[in-house]
Amino acid sequence: MSELLQVNNLDVRFDTARGLLHAVKDVSFTLQPGESLGIVGESGSGKTVLSRATMGLLTMSTAKKSGSVKLNDLEITQLSRSDLRAKWGTEMAIIFQDPMTALNPVRRIGDQIAEGPRIRLGMSKKDAKQRAIELLKMVQIAEPEKVLKKFPLQLSGGMRQRVMIAIAIACNPKILFADEPTTALDVTVQAQILELISSLRTQLNMALILVTHDLGVVAGHTDKIAVMYAGEIVEIAPTKELFSNVRMPYTEALLNSIPRISNESGVRLPVIEGRLPDPTLPQTGCGFSARCKYATEKCHTERPPLVDGGSGHMYRCFFPLGVNK
Amino acid sequence: MLRNLGLFSKISFGWLTLMLFFAIAGPLLPIPDPTAFSDVSGAGLFTPGHLLGTDLNGYDLFANIVIGSRNSLFIAIISVGLGGLIGGILGIAAGYLRGKTDYVLTVFFNIFLSIPNLILSLVLIAVLATSSDPTQTVADGRRIVVIIISLTIVIVPILGRITRGSTLAWSNTEFVVAAKSMGMKDLMIIKRHIIPNVLPSIYAVAFLAVGIVIVVEGALSLLGIGVGQGISWGSMLARSQGDLEYAPTSLFVPLTFLAFTVIACNQVGDSLRQRLDSRESKL
Repeated sequence: MSELLQVNNLDVRFDTARGLLHAVKDVSFTLQPGESLGIVGESGSGKTVLSRATMGLLTMSTAKKSGSVKLNDLEITQLSRSDLRAKWGTEMAIIFQDPMTALNPVRRIGDQIAEGPRIRLGMSKKDAKQRAIELLKMVQIAEPEKVLKKFPLQLSGGMRQRVMIAIAIACNPKILFADEPTTALDVTVQAQILELISSLRTQLNMALILVTHDLGVVAGHTDKIAVMYAGEIVEIAPTKELFSNVRMPYTEALLNSIPRISNESGVRLPVIEGRLPDPTLPQTGCGFSARCKYATEKCHTERPPLVDGGSGHMYRCFFPLGVNK
Repeated sequence: MLRNLGLFSKISFGWLTLMLFFAIAGPLLPIPDPTAFSDVSGAGLFTPGHLLGTDLNGYDLFANIVIGSRNSLFIAIISVGLGGLIGGILGIAAGYLRGKTDYVLTVFFNIFLSIPNLILSLVLIAVLATSSDPTQTVADGRRIVVIIISLTIVIVPILGRITRGSTLAWSNTEFVVAAKSMGMKDLMIIKRHIIPNVLPSIYAVAFLAVGIVIVVEGALSLLGIGVGQGISWGSMLARSQGDLEYAPTSLFVPLTFLAFTVIACNQVGDSLRQRLDSRESKL
């Protein structure tokens, strides 16, 4: 099968006052049409930068990017601004974390949704309005005609995130990037939004890249999961395989720190001690070695390569869990 | 819209509306000819036939105020409007494009801000709108155009900097990135996302600028380089500057109108800004 998206050795550095900040290190992954990939990692692990760099949205002059991103076998890192812009919205679209700030406060919802179809698809005003109503129905908003006339302030957080999704899918993108789409919402709404994104994905046959810090969020909604740590993909596997055969100690630690209903009360929640390494310092050895309870001398000095453990399971670890050497 | 305003703001709005009415409908109002001599010179307030009295020449002060409001407000509104348009475009360009454009425009704004506005106007009028033959006078229209140009030059960097700052803030918002990620062109983003958000802060400062310009126009007249033969509040002051002893009302009346109008402009500008702040804090 031909890959929809091929990311090879993507590397992003930022020129900062404290030195070169290495945000994304040598990341590679592929995505089939209609497939969904979860990118999981803690704050500062580079997952947002990775998703934006993949789309080509990192336009600030301080960002230094290398590596290749191929969309339908077309190298998009070398495209001109306007050629790349032609891909945005119609091929790749993104939903942002905070629906409070990602909508323009002074424009009506209807105008903001219709903008894409009007300008990118060249629809007439009337058709675009019809399309906006259709989109609002797709994201399960009741009384779409009324909502069209409202301002973002008049909607709840969940409604706004639904509107954001409607805007993102307005031009039928092939890939939807969702950058922490539920983080700013409360728990009950989170589940509904994830359900909505999943069902739209199958309905429209979109590929999905779901970026989150919550393993629980990606578990039920993605085909495969990439775990990021300190700018690297440290483990990538089909979702089922990952949860049944954890190889990377970091993934294990992440899973252990999820609160469970069966946890006894009064018992401290397990946490991962320590912090992410300073991204402005050159990395020696495994990025996680300083916090890893299994780490040996080798882990501190040598950088582990990405090992293929079979059945699509790759990991960066010298001493993977459950594998006897 | 007026409901939520304080009393002071309402009065200010009312005053500005009245002045605007004078400026537009002035010649149609039942007032004496502002340039007709009357037999009472230096009359005080509420003299029969002369509501606000007369000056030493016997000119009716109320008629002069009404007719003069046209020149004073016309000059202020046109120069602030022009300055706002040019400053707004330059400010948006600087704030949105960043980089070299921003650097060049900011330097340009700073240079123009450092020129004292009275001296700039003096030079421009001396060069462009003064006749070399002292027996001949320059047409008022030409004077007004040059005054407007010089005031516009003063306003452009003020409003340009405000717009630049506001544009910088708004173009870093997520909805602008979101619009970009949908493949919108820059001009479209500016038109649909930047301008509607930046415009209110331009309005607020523009009102303050109208106040400033009215005062500057008065100062120019006092220096003898204002609207020469025509009537403006500033030229009324200039004409009566020596008459304080004999006809105090001829100075106090235009001064009061000038001061009230400037205060009202400032107040309206301030209340506009406060409304903006409350709108932003609601987000």
